[in-house]
Amino acid sequence: MEKFRIKSNYKRHILIVDDEIINREIIGNFLQSKYEITYASNGSEAIDIIENRENKFSLILLDLFMPVMDGFELLDIMNESGLVKSTPVIVMTADKSAEIKCIKLGAIDFITKPFDLPEVIIARCERIIEFFEDKNLINIAEKDSLTGLYTKDFFFEYIRQINTLSSSDPMDAIFININNFHLINELYGRKKGDLALKKIGEKLLSIANNTLGIGCRIESDNFYFYCSPQDDYADMLKEVQSAFDCCDNHHKITLRMGICKNITPDEEIEIFFDRAKSACDTIKNDFTKQIAYFNNELKETSIFNAKLIDDLDDAIANNDLIVYYQPKYGILTDTPVLKSAEALIRWNHPELGMISPGKFIPLFESNGLIQKLDQYVWEQAAKQIKAWKEKYNKTIPISVNVSRVDIYDLTLEDRLNQILIENEISTSELMLEITESAYAENAAILVSVVNKLRENGFKIEMDDFGSGYSSLNMLTSLPIDILKIDMIFIRNMMNDAKSLKMLELILDIAKFLHVPVVAEGVETKEQLTILKERGCDIIQGYYFSKPVPPEEFTPFIEAML
Amino acid sequence: MITLDKLVKYGANTEEALNRCYGNTSLYIKLVQTITTDDNLEKLKNALDKNDLNEAFQAAHALKGTLGNLSLTPLYEPTVEITELLRARKEMDYTPYIDKIVEKYNELIALCD
Repeated sequence: MEKFRIKSNYKRHILIVDDEIINREIIGNFLQSKYEITYASNGSEAIDIIENRENKFSLILLDLFMPVMDGFELLDIMNESGLVKSTPVIVMTADKSAEIKCIKLGAIDFITKPFDLPEVIIARCERIIEFFEDKNLINIAEKDSLTGLYTKDFFFEYIRQINTLSSSDPMDAIFININNFHLINELYGRKKGDLALKKIGEKLLSIANNTLGIGCRIESDNFYFYCSPQDDYADMLKEVQSAFDCCDNHHKITLRMGICKNITPDEEIEIFFDRAKSACDTIKNDFTKQIAYFNNELKETSIFNAKLIDDLDDAIANNDLIVYYQPKYGILTDTPVLKSAEALIRWNHPELGMISPGKFIPLFESNGLIQKLDQYVWEQAAKQIKAWKEKYNKTIPISVNVSRVDIYDLTLEDRLNQILIENEISTSELMLEITESAYAENAAILVSVVNKLRENGFKIEMDDFGSGYSSLNMLTSLPIDILKIDMIFIRNMMNDAKSLKMLELILDIAKFLHVPVVAEGVETKEQLTILKERGCDIIQGYYFSKPVPPEEFTPFIEAML
Repeated sequence: MITLDKLVKYGANTEEALNRCYGNTSLYIKLVQTITTDDNLEKLKNALDKNDLNEAFQAAHALKGTLGNLSLTPLYEPTVEITELLRARKEMDYTPYIDKIVEKYNELIALCD
């Protein structure tokens, strides 16, 4: 990219400080062909000019021996105010012996008297102005203003620089993250959150000094650190953790750390930090562990994941993804009645065989590809509704999953409507399941999206209720049509009184809100009985059927006819 | 009236000085004329009379700077000599140096008339 200064006609401004008019005029005469020039005849005049000027000077040319205030004194003042850091000063002198003193005071260069050829001096001034402008730009861009650590691009660039300049000793890549940082922001406000980040920055900077390390903040509460291998990372963790000693409330702030050891320079450096992060992700919800190392197992997982990501489009094109259906039965009547079905995806991979949804759904959720998967399931489910409708003259509503990322997608409604139109079905026939934790994340947006969907006639089921963060208060303000209890309560209610009590509570709340309740994961007659006695409306689970391909589902429909 | 020719005859390195003035002859002539109003030589003499070597050095140093930039060699050279002696704060008789400078100074003044 061509630089702005070369393109533009904008003239930089130079301040010439010299008591001798002859010197001022000679140097000003040739510099004015390129620059705007202001003159001062001594240091104190120069200060007045600098202070009263709105714009910065690009360069100051300074004579040393002047009446009133000499060049040394002016340099001294500029040094104290930090001005020498942003505005370059070239000293004009015939006096070699003064040079060291000037350099110490922050002068960047010298012009000797009598002056050299103008071309030489102009070129020098240009260079220094360019150098300082670049330096100032870099200063702004290279550091994260909150923590003082490097920004990501500079961080990786400096690592590459270190690796080309020095011998390739082994180094470690580290990823650091604050557990539940969003909660700190929520509970104590952003100021507190920012303070925590700042403190981590300070700690990492001081650790960097002792470990030949450098650190950076990626975004939010994610940090990268690159350093010589440490014997015990628990020490480092403890040290960083101590950043919170000063600002700890009752709530304990904890960190987690992922480490990729002994990295080699033959691969892109970014990869090692990705690995450190994936190691760290493995202990995300495990509060007993704070440090995780990248290992071969993780490497295999990441290769496996990369393969799944690669193969997704082919899988959709080749129908390797199959939608299964699990029936939901109403149990409030004497004999259970088939009410609807839930669409569940299966992947029959040509090389890897059947892949469990537990392996690919969280993966696609984490990188947004779940949207493709969802869209595919919606289309298949809509086709199925239509097919059954034509065959049996009866609607079996099917519920499909709507992921978090779909909710933020502005085209969500259009996409859904398009599918309904193509299959000549109505909004009441395709039910939408939204997981509870999505509600907690950004309730305002979600509520408005869900409201719009409901206005159009869609039925919304809240999935996994009880598993996440939802509060009772939230529940009363939420627009939902059906509550789906998290499987864990059903699984535990037989031998855990608390789970049973919770279940009863949820059923009571649902009744109060006039919302029907679906219980998932029901496997036995006993479970069904307990749920029925307590007023649960609908049951889904192996007791009736596991999820099955469409052709195996038809008997359930035919039994109802 | 002073001219480039006169300055060449005087011994000034006008080529060098004009380079420094970016080829601007009238600027060069104008600046040479300001030497007649420059008070550093006067300050130098007074300081030496008082035997104030610090002040004498400062005046000589300033004078040297401007003369050098104008490449007025005959006047510049003795000024460099006296500046270096004064830089060392040498206790000595400076009269011969001053006389030489004054002589060359007067020659220059004569050219300006």
